[in-house]
Amino acid sequence: MSQIKQALICGYGGQGIVLAGTILGQAAFNDGKWVGGTNSYGAASRGGACRSEVVISGQPIIFPYVIEVDVLIAMYQTAYDKYIGEVRREGGIVVYDDRFVTLDKVDGVRQVPVPATRTALEELKSELVPNVVMLGAVVEITGLVTKDALRSAVAETVAERLRELDLKAVEAGFRLGSGKSA
Amino acid sequence: MGKQKVNSVLPPGSYYFSGDEAVAEGAIAARCGYCAGYPITPATETLERLSVRFGEVGAAFMQMEDEIASICSCIGASWAGAKAMTITSGPGFSLMQEAIGYAVFTETPLVLVDAQRSGPSTGQATRVGSGDIMQAKWGSHGDYLAIALSPWSVQELYDQTINAFNLAERFRVPVFVMAEEATAHLHERIEVGAEVELFNREKKPGAPPFGTEEEDGVPPMPVFGDGEKLLITGSTHDEWGVRKITHPEIHRKLVTRLQKKILNRSQEIIQYDSHYLDDAQVAVICYGFTARSALFAVEQLRGEGKKIGVLRLKTLWPFADELIKDIGSRVGKIFVPEMNMGQVAGEVMKYAACEVVSYGQVNGEIVHPHTIIEQLRRLV
Repeated sequence: MSQIKQALICGYGGQGIVLAGTILGQAAFNDGKWVGGTNSYGAASRGGACRSEVVISGQPIIFPYVIEVDVLIAMYQTAYDKYIGEVRREGGIVVYDDRFVTLDKVDGVRQVPVPATRTALEELKSELVPNVVMLGAVVEITGLVTKDALRSAVAETVAERLRELDLKAVEAGFRLGSGKSA
Repeated sequence: MGKQKVNSVLPPGSYYFSGDEAVAEGAIAARCGYCAGYPITPATETLERLSVRFGEVGAAFMQMEDEIASICSCIGASWAGAKAMTITSGPGFSLMQEAIGYAVFTETPLVLVDAQRSGPSTGQATRVGSGDIMQAKWGSHGDYLAIALSPWSVQELYDQTINAFNLAERFRVPVFVMAEEATAHLHERIEVGAEVELFNREKKPGAPPFGTEEEDGVPPMPVFGDGEKLLITGSTHDEWGVRKITHPEIHRKLVTRLQKKILNRSQEIIQYDSHYLDDAQVAVICYGFTARSALFAVEQLRGEGKKIGVLRLKTLWPFADELIKDIGSRVGKIFVPEMNMGQVAGEVMKYAACEVVSYGQVNGEIVHPHTIIEQLRRLV
């Protein structure tokens, strides 16, 4: 099981959850891994529950959805409440946006707050990049993918006009995550 | 003409694509010259990518006013000599049925990708389903047979899109790629080789475009501009395309040939893979995304010593009847999980002598491996 890493990113439609999953999957691919990336969302472009799953393995993946969550990335309270029960009890980790999520205590699960939205708004002056700040922090904390792979995935995935901003957001995320790894 | 190896358009290597993107790149690899479509979840991303990529490779992309216009323009493009494709989901597939019958009867090669979602009607637009399987067989009126493929991964959406063009050109028939939301929106790593094997349609100047001496033949296909006298009609026609709307023998011969040209070559068309079937007491027969859940489930149960095997159908139509007859004579039970109310299970029951257990799930979600494990435990 340890060879497969299963990440679930969840939040509210419009927070960039699907894009965050695409970037994380691309980063794992850049690391030379096999990846399964899936999303679930409603028909509206904003609002409603939204989730993105990324399964990362050293080998081809038969079933590409998350079965047990190793890393939960929670951007919104309702999403956190919905998925916290699916996190692996031994060694699972939750990284959450402290602006939108208040914790439940769960035995055996480490939960790390990250001020992703606050940093995006106050430091980067943008409401577009909390998702990417969050990814930077998650990668710094969990080592899910390499930092270089995440940088290149951001550059490859986001629109050109936002590339510089998003690359700053990744670095801000790395900084927020530093010193918080287990 | 006929089979030919060409260089891949994408540089060989690994790519991280969604299924929709892989369909677009498969079409480019197959040298598709024309694609028309109308956006619909979960197929829109293919159209988005083609609208950009076709400009780069010199092919034509057209967003039409609706799905009916989309497929009709593909029929025209095909007769103008282009390899043609349209892409849609269930609601669009329904709108296209009349033109599909026209394409079948005029022996027009074209590829139709149906990224299935949960229906009927508008259903749940962003959710998965696999309810269009029988529609791919007999959605249009009259008696006919087309070809339908069922990919289970992003890699296969790329490979089977290429295969669909080859089959369409080889047999002069519409070929359906029965994708599902779960594979269309899935992102995976795929490998692209240096070369692609393509089939380009046969031409024979002066030969009749709608008849052959053999009762199961595929006639050569001229295009507009070749200088042939060309009549194309959805009415019953003789080998030169001349309308014959009351002649019993001409109608019988045409309708029969259109079926036989496929059925008599089904061994050349049908693809499948099998896992752990040699000593299996129970066989899971599956296709599309559900086959991934099934294989995952069976590997777990094999670990507990349960003798279960998997047959995955990569081709749905023509149906693998001989194969299923054979498996049905060797196992005690067959289990058929699918994201509809048992459309393929019904076909399996026609040919398998053993007990066939259908598991149809229509809640807009994939059939989870845990569900399949639970069901299989009751059978072994």
